[in-house]
Amino acid sequence: MTMTVDESISAPAGESQWAVETHGLTKRFGDNVAVNGVELLVPRGCAFGYLGPNGAGKTTLIRVLLGLTHADAGTMSLLGYSVPKHRDRALARVGAIVDEPRFHGHLTGRQNLQILAAAREPAAKGRIESSLDRVGMLSRADVKVTKYSMGMRQRLGVAACLLGDPQLLILDEPMNGLDPAGMHEMRDMILSLVAEGRTVVLSSHLLDEVERTCDAVAIVDRGNIIRQGPIAQLLSGADVVVQIDCSAPDGVSALLAGMNVDARVEVANDVVSVTMPTGTTRDAVAEINRRLVEGGTSVYRLQPVQVSLESWFLEVTSRLGAPE
Amino acid sequence: MPTWGMITTRFMELRRRRGLLIAMLAVVVGLPVIFLVVRLVAHAVDPKVYAAAGGYDIFTNLTAGVMYIFGFIMAATLGCTAGSVDLTEGMFRHLVVTGRSRVALYFARIPAGLAIITSIVAVGFTIVCVVCCVAAPRSLSYDGVTVPAGMSSSAFNTYAADHAGAVICNFNYRSNVNINVPCEYDRATHEGKIGVPNKKNAPPGFTMPSKQKLQNFAVTIAKQNYSTYSKEFLSPSNGLMIRTGLWLELEAAIGFLVGLGLGSLLGQRTVAVIIMLVYEVILTPLLARAHISHLINAQRGLVGLATAHLEPAALPAVFGGGNGPQSGNGLIPETRLVAVLVIVAWIVVWTALGARRMATRDA
Repeated sequence: MTMTVDESISAPAGESQWAVETHGLTKRFGDNVAVNGVELLVPRGCAFGYLGPNGAGKTTLIRVLLGLTHADAGTMSLLGYSVPKHRDRALARVGAIVDEPRFHGHLTGRQNLQILAAAREPAAKGRIESSLDRVGMLSRADVKVTKYSMGMRQRLGVAACLLGDPQLLILDEPMNGLDPAGMHEMRDMILSLVAEGRTVVLSSHLLDEVERTCDAVAIVDRGNIIRQGPIAQLLSGADVVVQIDCSAPDGVSALLAGMNVDARVEVANDVVSVTMPTGTTRDAVAEINRRLVEGGTSVYRLQPVQVSLESWFLEVTSRLGAPE
Repeated sequence: MPTWGMITTRFMELRRRRGLLIAMLAVVVGLPVIFLVVRLVAHAVDPKVYAAAGGYDIFTNLTAGVMYIFGFIMAATLGCTAGSVDLTEGMFRHLVVTGRSRVALYFARIPAGLAIITSIVAVGFTIVCVVCCVAAPRSLSYDGVTVPAGMSSSAFNTYAADHAGAVICNFNYRSNVNINVPCEYDRATHEGKIGVPNKKNAPPGFTMPSKQKLQNFAVTIAKQNYSTYSKEFLSPSNGLMIRTGLWLELEAAIGFLVGLGLGSLLGQRTVAVIIMLVYEVILTPLLARAHISHLINAQRGLVGLATAHLEPAALPAVFGGGNGPQSGNGLIPETRLVAVLVIVAWIVVWTALGARRMATRDA
């Protein structure tokens, strides 16, 4: 089997509208295809969520993008620079946390950052203090990393990302180990980074956090990206769910059958959930209410359910079926 | 190429490994210091029983017998550490993400590690030099006889004539010609001297040789001993100390560079250190002396054998004494040129292997 990585990128280096761009990116581990022909487009200046169940290939894709491991096929670019051909120029403006952030335990947080800053351009050394300050680690900067909690190491990892004044940050599970207050601070920091015009790619299992933080997402499963786009646009394609609290829950199903409405009805705890296809209008919901009332059913509550990213994610991934 | 900042921060990272640094100081500096301090104290307590702490012999034996082997081991340990800890401690990934060339990251470790190990070896060696010079014996003990140091051949002969009894009864002498005089132990000087047999114990027909005959015979013995005597000194010369110091630093540098390459290749420290220990302490001493005709050229490729052949001539043979069939010091013979080429090859090959593994390894 011959695989090649095409290093040609159509856009001029550094001028692409995409912060991350991959075409047909593939990474295999023996017979296991961890990244399977991924086509990913991450626009600049946004927070982008990269979602997927365990083992979906999220971290592997990040590792390939950052040059931590090689790709077997496909093209990729970061900030318009073809990778791995111009990896040094691309990564000079990229900050990343991959997996659990680990450092030299016998050194302090500041000393670890000094090592990393020395590997970057000279100006990086001058950003150590501001980076520590930004992640709230300035007061603990001179404590040895062995005494850091998981959350503190996460913060130090983010500080390490900021040393290069990055245009693109790739954060793999940055909320791991953070307490609720820490997660809130991290979310605010990500939003502030985006507000400064940087791009943040966030890989996370915490769908609620991603929904609160990100503008767009991609869902990956078994190495394939199955959906990607702005969150609002993706959710607008979700099913419409209406919860009805009424006097005759068991009669709702028969009533809807008579209306010729494509709906799925479930009754739980005397509350009826009516799931209708994407594009169902508000008028259709009003029609259901009218028919119920005309049929002698007392309606106590009729409430459209706001679709969350989590429910949409579960809906999308549940359609994929069992692994082959 | 690595920047100055990369080298200094790498130096800082290695220097702050307190346990490793203490171990290196204890072995490379501590062992010679303890040995010398014990000798200094013992000599101060009873100078007649315990010889001076320093001196030429102490210097040569301490450097070739202790500092050579332990300097290499600690340098290799430092190298294995420098070559593997970024990976095992999770920093390699952070460093790769900076976009800096992985080869540059590897090369930054070389000057940083060398600065540490050569400094430690220099400290230990300087202490040995100072003690061996300052606390050197004031007179030379040659074959158990206290003799002035640094005499010319004629002065040595004159000394022998003036101390015929001590020379005849103590100095080594190999010849069919001999002189028949009784020798006895002198409690005052702890040297042998010509005794005066009483008439009852004297062999039949024994007559004491004339003074002139004894002096002539002592001069004959002195002439045979001069080449050996001329190689014994109260303290090491400046030239010998410089050559020995450079030789020890070379050995330490080789140990570090090979350890660095091996540590990077294996990606872990423990196994790499064990391999280096087995190589230096067991394999090299065995293979440097065992004459295996089918493997002789492979044996010449041992870096330990190569550095042994670059050893200053005044020092005792490394890897223990004993004579073998190949040469005077028992080591498999090798020219200096071949020795230098072997050392260069080891440094280049291990550096290339380590750098390549680092450049291609998944982070």
